[in-house]
Amino acid sequence: MILILLLSSFLSFAETTSTDEKVVGIFYMQPLFGHVHQSSVSTSASLTTIQCAHPVKVIESSKVSAYPEWAYVQVADYRGFILKQYLSEKKPDCFQGKYPKFFDNLNLDLSELYYWGRLYDQYIQGETRVQ
Amino acid sequence: MINTYRVKLAFSSFFLMLNLVASAQTSKLQEDKELELVNFSSVKKVLQKDGLSESAFQKKQQVAILKKEQINLDHLRYNYPPEDEMWGFISEYWLVKNAPILGWDFEKPDYGLDYSFKTTLQKMGFVQKKFKILLINNPVMVRAALPGSNGDIILLMSVPFIRALDLSKLEISLLFLEDYLRLEAGYFKNNVGTQKLKNLAGTSFQGAKPDMSILEELLKNYTNQINSKGYTFQQQFETTKKMDVFLKSQPELWNVYFHLLQKLNNYFKANVQYKDYVKLYPSPEMQIKWISPDEKVL
Repeated sequence: MILILLLSSFLSFAETTSTDEKVVGIFYMQPLFGHVHQSSVSTSASLTTIQCAHPVKVIESSKVSAYPEWAYVQVADYRGFILKQYLSEKKPDCFQGKYPKFFDNLNLDLSELYYWGRLYDQYIQGETRVQ
Repeated sequence: MINTYRVKLAFSSFFLMLNLVASAQTSKLQEDKELELVNFSSVKKVLQKDGLSESAFQKKQQVAILKKEQINLDHLRYNYPPEDEMWGFISEYWLVKNAPILGWDFEKPDYGLDYSFKTTLQKMGFVQKKFKILLINNPVMVRAALPGSNGDIILLMSVPFIRALDLSKLEISLLFLEDYLRLEAGYFKNNVGTQKLKNLAGTSFQGAKPDMSILEELLKNYTNQINSKGYTFQQQFETTKKMDVFLKSQPELWNVYFHLLQKLNNYFKANVQYKDYVKLYPSPEMQIKWISPDEKVL
């Protein structure tokens, strides 16, 4: 009986430790607004909209496949994808953080928040460098 | 026996009384000492010797600095954004407000424009320049360049227009380069900017409501500039001449640009749908004349 109990407790321990998920770290949203996507494609459905400086838990999991430029993230109860270029290790200096009273007076509605997030999905971005 | 007990009791009570009196005397002395300690003048020397008064002074100063910084931070919370940050914000706000009309939220093919435009800019010697391209699904609004935040630039281009003219990515990049030069020359900001923006940007509205008409006016001016006002002949002439100068160092690009202007000219003459384009960007026909090499008379 004791042996069975010991074996079952060992098995349950093994189950929790062998999980293939790893928290890479906490990152912060960089653009003014952005979406947590259902899949690693910018046209995929939005699970939720978050704003600049919102903390995001980046997860590494062998069970989840994504394009390399996308990060698998957890925001509150949602698990989805955000473009890596929009995540920062340090808390960014956001427009709404610097000018909160001005920003509050905009009274952005839900559709505007949604479109602002979509804007960053649709941008094709580039930067020239010294050759 | 009882007598000896009484004597012992008397002695012990006598000693007890003595102890109580003695302890009362010592507690009084301790209170006195405490009073002496509270007397600052008596400990001043000790504090000075330990450097405690100096550290207390420093702490006082730190608190004063922190309080001042807190007041400054509170004050900054009521600021209008400065002009350079305002432009990028308004450009995006205008795009968001006009999203259903412009139709930029749609699935589009990958034209490879980021690489193509980056290469074109680099060939012209423009380095450390950030750009954002937004393809729109609107046949009427053909193109525009908006100021972004921190000196970057937002370029808009209509996909129906690209398809109608069957533009190559190099041709699109040259149109973007034209837009980039126009924006860099400050024509857009001069045409759209208001006195209110100049007066209020970067100032504080603490104690009052912010004047949000600053945004309303600018949004209206953006729409007017992009859909109706466009650029003057003089501004177009200067832009075209700049393109001519920049592209002359790359003859193959100059040729593509020249043929692109011819292509636009022919298309706009044949299609009334784009009749407004030549009013906004006057005009491919004139641009061809401005950059055509002089004919030599033998």
